[in-house]
Amino acid sequence: MKKFLRRLFLLGALVGAAYAARSYLQGHSPAQETVQIVFDDGSTRSLASNTTEGQEFIDIARKLVETGL
Amino acid sequence: MPASAANMGREMFMAERSGAGTAQDLDRVLADLRALSEDIESCAVLSGDRDLLSSSHQPGVDRERVGAMLAALVYLSERVARESGKDHISQLRIDTGGGHLLVVRLDGGGVLAATTDQEARVGLVLYDMRNSRGEVEKALADGSDQ
Repeated sequence: MKKFLRRLFLLGALVGAAYAARSYLQGHSPAQETVQIVFDDGSTRSLASNTTEGQEFIDIARKLVETGL
Repeated sequence: MPASAANMGREMFMAERSGAGTAQDLDRVLADLRALSEDIESCAVLSGDRDLLSSSHQPGVDRERVGAMLAALVYLSERVARESGKDHISQLRIDTGGGHLLVVRLDGGGVLAATTDQEARVGLVLYDMRNSRGEVEKALADGSDQ
């Protein structure tokens, strides 16, 4: 029983370490380009950067972020 | 000087004064917003007629170019709203990978826009922008009333 509990604890520690490593790597992944629009009725729509529509927004926004308003 | 010419001169003077007053009020509101939300790097107000009324641009930044690009973004977002069957957007948030561009719509079709760096607390900045919206709208209304 003691051996079983030790293995269980070890397994839990391994799973926890894997989860922490995954969260750390995701948190430091390259920044993703996204567009989020909120409408007047509270609904939202997201445009991915790999769509023509989304890229139009991002191209203009990038220039404005670089130069400042 | 004929009376009509005197009146015209006075009207022109008042128009100039009211314009300056609006710009000063807006500049003050934007300065307050930047003081409140330290993550904001630059901010601007675009009118419903797509004129850049106030901005915190650095020297050397082409004001007309900034106004035109901001107007293009507003046009694109309104197009998406129409395509989605909505009346207007209320907020726009763009993550460019190197920073964020945030836009909050004002009454009358104008917008309050701000840029931040990539690490900014965007939710907090948008919260501050929404809170400042009333003051911006008041400054615009006061300017149009004068």
